Parts: sequence; structure tokens; C-alpha cells
Amino acid sequence: MGNLFDFKTVFTNIPEILKYFPVTMQLALSAMAASLILGLLLALVKVRQVPVLKTLVNVFISVIRGTPVLVQLYVTYFGIPMFLKYLAYKNGTEYNASAVPPIVFAFIALAINESAYNAETIRAAIQSVDRGQIEAATSLGMTGWQTLTRITLPEAIPVALPNLGNSFISLIKGTSLAFVCAVVDMTAAGKIIGGRKYRYFEVYVSLALIYWVITIVVEQLLKLLEKKIAIPDDSPTVKRDAARLAQDIPVQSSEV
Amino acid sequence: MIEVQNLSKRYKDNVVLEDINLTIHPGDVIAVIGPSGTGKSTLLRCIDRLETPESGRIIMDGLTVDLAQHHNRKKLIELHKRTGMVFQSWNLFSHKTALQNVMEGLVVVKKLDKTRARELAMAQLANVGLADWANHYPRHLSGGQQQRVAIARVLAMEPELLLFDEPTSALDPELVGEVLETIRLAADRGYTMLLVSHEMSFVQRVANRVIFLENGHIVEDGTPDEVFYHPKSDRLRDFITKIERLQAPEYSI
Repeated sequence: MGNLFDFKTVFTNIPEILKYFPVTMQLALSAMAASLILGLLLALVKVRQVPVLKTLVNVFISVIRGTPVLVQLYVTYFGIPMFLKYLAYKNGTEYNASAVPPIVFAFIALAINESAYNAETIRAAIQSVDRGQIEAATSLGMTGWQTLTRITLPEAIPVALPNLGNSFISLIKGTSLAFVCAVVDMTAAGKIIGGRKYRYFEVYVSLALIYWVITIVVEQLLKLLEKKIAIPDDSPTVKRDAARLAQDIPVQSSEV
Repeated sequence: MIEVQNLSKRYKDNVVLEDINLTIHPGDVIAVIGPSGTGKSTLLRCIDRLETPESGRIIMDGLTVDLAQHHNRKKLIELHKRTGMVFQSWNLFSHKTALQNVMEGLVVVKKLDKTRARELAMAQLANVGLADWANHYPRHLSGGQQQRVAIARVLAMEPELLLFDEPTSALDPELVGEVLETIRLAADRGYTMLLVSHEMSFVQRVANRVIFLENGHIVEDGTPDEVFYHPKSDRLRDFITKIERLQAPEYSI
């Protein structure tokens, strides 16, 4: 038999697929941003124990975490136009379902799905902040909002970051399901290319390579970010002494 | 003059404070002493409204706050601005340097511009002897240094009433001295303060008035001399004897 696995095609596919890289990243980044905002709001409702809303949020998180993303994508893709059609019918206006670009449905579904997971991460991070510091801020005369933005969140973000990074990585890969909403992202493009060349296996290998590389890059960026926002291990005195030692300048034992 | 009226606080069935009335004159350094679990810390935390009492009012110059009410945010913030709390466990903002900790209230609450706030904060840090440590994060400071930064942070806000909630209880014995010295300097500068402390000899030197709190009541209220050397109630006599026994040197013959 001829060519069972065309090694070259795996690599010649890559530039073609990468044309759709912006679509994938646009979807991933916008859904992540929206899910962070929504997740923070959901988390605040849970932390503050807002009556009624708290129950709604719990049900929402339970439903979203209890159903597959694929199903959620279908529900938004078919459900939202149906709902809009109904509204248009009620108001006696015309509604054109194809006027909404498909990426919007994928964005909504992914953002909502991601927000349920992020809400729990953010809630846990907020609750890990030392109560004493919040009391100190209150005692200084800060308002609830000032305490949240100046003290609680800056302290909670480093705690939440590793988990949020994780969920961002899975979101990037989750965008590959967006083809069910008729979005042509990298995976959908790969399928089209595979169909054209009749080389499906090669194209899936190319896709795997591309997603893997993206994930590695994102992981490294997250590591840098984590390091940047962490409180340094060494005190300024230790650093100065280390610098002096390196230059053979005597170090004083203590400077008070 | 600051007046605390009808302050009562209980946790479920456990009455911690019962109808406390207290008048604080400007410049007063009042020490609150008493056995553990008698509501000393709760008294301070209710005055600063970190704890919500069942009833109670605080009256300051031009400000009356019903401490039991929830729906008076503006007044509560005003109260927080005019009182300052130093905590047992320091409670410094751990992601901010010593300087940023002191600047925080000046910038966010008092809305000073950053340069002015930095100047004031540096001056306060110098006052507590930590000017060289301004760029250190709390985790790089000793307990005593952290507490001195916390005191600088509160003094920078120039509160009318300073509340010290067992400021040295969480410190290693060798670090207690530096913090007490800082508190004494603040007292010398004429700050009005309410101090919960177990450092009895320090209390005798610094306070002009001592309150003995027991089971949620003010049992005695007088000068250090009256309270420590001429206690009227049996309960206070008992308490003082116990403490003296603790502090007396051990003899071996």
C-alpha cells in the first residue's frame, strides 16, 4: 500500500490551520474575560450570603457544572434564536436569526460554562484572605468596595491564579467544540482541510501539536505572572547583603 | 469627650458585656484589665464597631452612633475614621510594604495625594524607629516590627481615640519592650487611648486610669494607685494577688 501516514502533510497543514488561530484565541480570551467578571459576581453573592440570590447562584452553578459543555453549546445555539423569535413574535416585529454571528453563541455558552467553575475558585480564594486584614481595613475607615478592591482582591488573586490558569487552558481546548455552533475555528478548519485532502488523521495530529504548543506558551506566561505578583522571598536587606557579598563588601550583621 | 452608653453584647446566651457606661476625657490613657473572657477585647471591638452589640451608643464631638444599628454606613465610616485599632495579631496588609501599609489609609480614606501621603507615612515610620524598613514586606519583619508598623499605620490617621487590643500578647518576650515603648511615646504625645493589656507594670506606668472589668461589668474604675494598691472589691483584690504572685521573683532557700 502507498502512503499510510503522510508525515509531510502534518506540517504543511499547520500554516493553513493557523489562519484560524485568531478565531480560537478571540473566543477563548473573550469568554475568559466575561467569565471572570461573571464568576466574581457569583462568588461575591456566595461570600456575602445574599438572601434569595445565593440560592439562585447555587442552582445555576449546579446546573452548569452538571451538564456537558457540548450540550450547553447546543442549547444556546438553538435556544437563544428560539427565544428571540418568540420575543419578536410577541412584539410583532421581524427577527432574522442569521443576523447574529455564530461566534456570539459560542462565546455566550463558553463564558457561562467557565463562570460557574471560576466562581467557585474565586470564592475559595476570597475566603482564604485573613479576616484580620479585612478588619484592619474596615477599622481604618475604608468602605466595603475599597476593602474589596484594595485589600481582598489583591490578596485573593495570587491564590486563585493557578486554578484560573488551569481553567483558561481547558477553555482554550474547549473552544474546539465551537464548530457545533457553526463557528469555523482551528478544529473546524482542520476538519475542512482533512475532508479536502482526505487526510483526516494527519490533520488531527497537526491540531494536537498546535494546541499543545499553545498550552505550553500559556503555561509559561502564567508562571511568569505568578512570579511577578508574588511577594518576594528575600527581604531587601537579604538582597542587598547578597549583592555586597558578591562584590566582596563586608556585610554588617544588623542594621536597625 | 467621648461617651459610651448602655453597651451590651452577648453571644447567644453568653452575656459578654452588660450595660457598660464609660466616659473618656481627652488625653486619657485608660487601661482595661480583668480575667480572660470578661469582654475586654469585645468592649474595644464594639467601640470600633467591628462587632455589633445588642445595644449601645457612642457619642463623640458632633457624632452620635447607635452601635446596634446596621443601616448607618456613613456614620460607621465616620466612627472608623475617628477611632484607630491596634490588633493583637498586627493584621498588616501582607501584600503591601511597611510604607504602603501606612500610606493606605492616608491615600484611600483621607484622599491625600501620594507624595504628601508618602511624606507623612515616612515620618510615622521614623517615629516608631522603622524608617530603614519602609520597603520591607510584613513577612520580612519581626513580630515587634510588624506591630510598630501597625501602630504607625493607625497614628498616621490621627484618630481621636486609639484602641489597643492586647498589642503585645502575640509577641516573643524579647520583642514586647519595643512595642510598649512605642505605645508609651504615643501616650506622651497626648493621644487618648483605651488599652487592653496584661503587662501590669507597664499599665501602672502609662495609664492615668484603670478599669477592672469582670463578667461584663465595670467593677472598679480609678487611678492606677487606687486600683492596684487600694482595691475595694474582693474580686479585684483576688485578681491583683494572683498577678503579683505570678510576677514575684521565685525564691529558693
